[in-house]
Amino acid sequence: MGRYTFNRQDFRSYEKLLTYLLLSFGLVPMVFPYIWMVLASFKVPAEIFDRFIPTSLTLEHYRMIFLMGSTGSANPFIRALANSLIVSSVTTLSVVIFGAITGYALARLRFRGRSLLNNFILFQMLFPVVLFLIPRFLLVTKLGWINTYQGMIAPFMMSAWAIFLFRQFFRTIPQELIDAARIDGCSELRIIFQVMLPLSKSVTIIVAVFTFMSMWDEFLWYLIVTKDYNLMPLSVLLGLFTKGEYSSYPGIQTAGATLLTIPILIIFFSFRKFFTEGIALSGIKG
Amino acid sequence: MNSILAKVKSNELVGYGLILPYLIYSLIIWVYPLMWGISIAFKRWNIISTEKTFIGLSNFIQVIHEPLFWIAFKNTLYFMVVFIPLSIFLSLSVALLLNRINFLRSFFASGYLISYVSAGVAYSIVFNLMFSGNGIINTWLSGIGITIPWFSSPKIAMASIAIIVVWKFLGYYSLIFLAGLQSIPKTIYESAEIDGAGRITQFFRITIPLLNPSFTIIIIFAIMLSFNVFTEPYMITGGGPLDSTQTFVMQIYYHTFTNLHAGYGSSFAIIVAAISFAFVFFIRKIVEKDIA
Repeated sequence: MGRYTFNRQDFRSYEKLLTYLLLSFGLVPMVFPYIWMVLASFKVPAEIFDRFIPTSLTLEHYRMIFLMGSTGSANPFIRALANSLIVSSVTTLSVVIFGAITGYALARLRFRGRSLLNNFILFQMLFPVVLFLIPRFLLVTKLGWINTYQGMIAPFMMSAWAIFLFRQFFRTIPQELIDAARIDGCSELRIIFQVMLPLSKSVTIIVAVFTFMSMWDEFLWYLIVTKDYNLMPLSVLLGLFTKGEYSSYPGIQTAGATLLTIPILIIFFSFRKFFTEGIALSGIKG
Repeated sequence: MNSILAKVKSNELVGYGLILPYLIYSLIIWVYPLMWGISIAFKRWNIISTEKTFIGLSNFIQVIHEPLFWIAFKNTLYFMVVFIPLSIFLSLSVALLLNRINFLRSFFASGYLISYVSAGVAYSIVFNLMFSGNGIINTWLSGIGITIPWFSSPKIAMASIAIIVVWKFLGYYSLIFLAGLQSIPKTIYESAEIDGAGRITQFFRITIPLLNPSFTIIIIFAIMLSFNVFTEPYMITGGGPLDSTQTFVMQIYYHTFTNLHAGYGSSFAIIVAAISFAFVFFIRKIVEKDIA
């Protein structure tokens, strides 16, 4: 057995090991709040604050959320969950449909004013949301859309960002495919939805998941336009209850937070590749 | 000839037809509100009354003379001073590590991104409880003899808010950096190595300068985010203690939807938007370099 010498190769592999160790170590604080949240939602109140691993479990907090409801309606949290799903899904669908239509026109059709519209879309993305909060609220009020799904959805139905992404991607699709479809007698709308979209799966999914996520996360706008507990999306209902009647019930708060987190985590795990791709895209494009 | 012209014409019409929904939508939900917002900023108007008086620049002048405006400004700067360096340092570190591995890279990338999808209300609830006076973090810290009044001390409450927002965006910024790192050609490092440049030299002479687009985009995102903070302080501190976590958006919300002064809130919003524009503009001037 020869004397062991520490060579460059070993150094490389130690370095690899260290890289993996650091990455794993760093992952702990990223995941910990989720684990703590789920555990807390099953803990008895006395153990929520200072014990990490519970000694006994309870379903009381979830029972409160699902069955009780001091607001008159039987289970406001289930309704709120449904409201969130409705509002987020409808918006997502609308953003994809109109993003694809407008993006297609900007990428593949010639008409006067096209580059003007292109610039307008980039210009729109520069404006912060705060500028629109008050006048949009006044507009929605005027239309009688306070406490309605239309009111919640209105500002988000079409997105300059989605149009921009679709336009960028549609420009890379070969013209022959479009011409072939035209010769077959396809209308432009059929070309968009039966030729372009199927060829742009990843962009479509990226637009869809990011839109869904931001609608699920939205808080301020919903807070402004919903006053009726039965119509509130989950984020607002949970927010108001946490600040209000459940302010001294951390177990119920964490059960509610878990309820708000699970659907978006399911989407995240199902489409995680598209989340990472979508971010890389926005980073490169700037 | 005529038929070609007709075809071009009809193509144009198709184009207009397809952009029409977006045009109408933008007019109603973007252009009109923008104009309306500007016009009411010059009026004294309580939402529930019908009386609107034109008062010129009074609202704007009043905003600038309001102590809470400056407190919110100071708090926003405090937030940025903690948030931007901390998030850039951590996310660049994670990106550099991710860039060194192939096996399990996408596992770790999505692992770090998991915080990004958590809803503002949900993670505010969780951190509020975890960081509370007798919460799990302080229970563990008391093991080494310290406790930190995360959200209850006016001195550090805003820093605590910044830290939990770093938690949310760390993975997001890491992936922007990672995309930047991967766009740097390997050959540059190889020739630097031949020239005898050590790793540290390579990092400061190649990696950092060539990551400039990533730095620029992240800093712009971070500034815009800083001017929009609302959910976390609304949920956790309500703007306190002693107004130390009051933000611009909280003030706008308060003036408009609690006090119902739509005109005043609107001029407040315009000033805030102008400041955030100015910040983005100047920081961009300082940070952005042409590397191509």
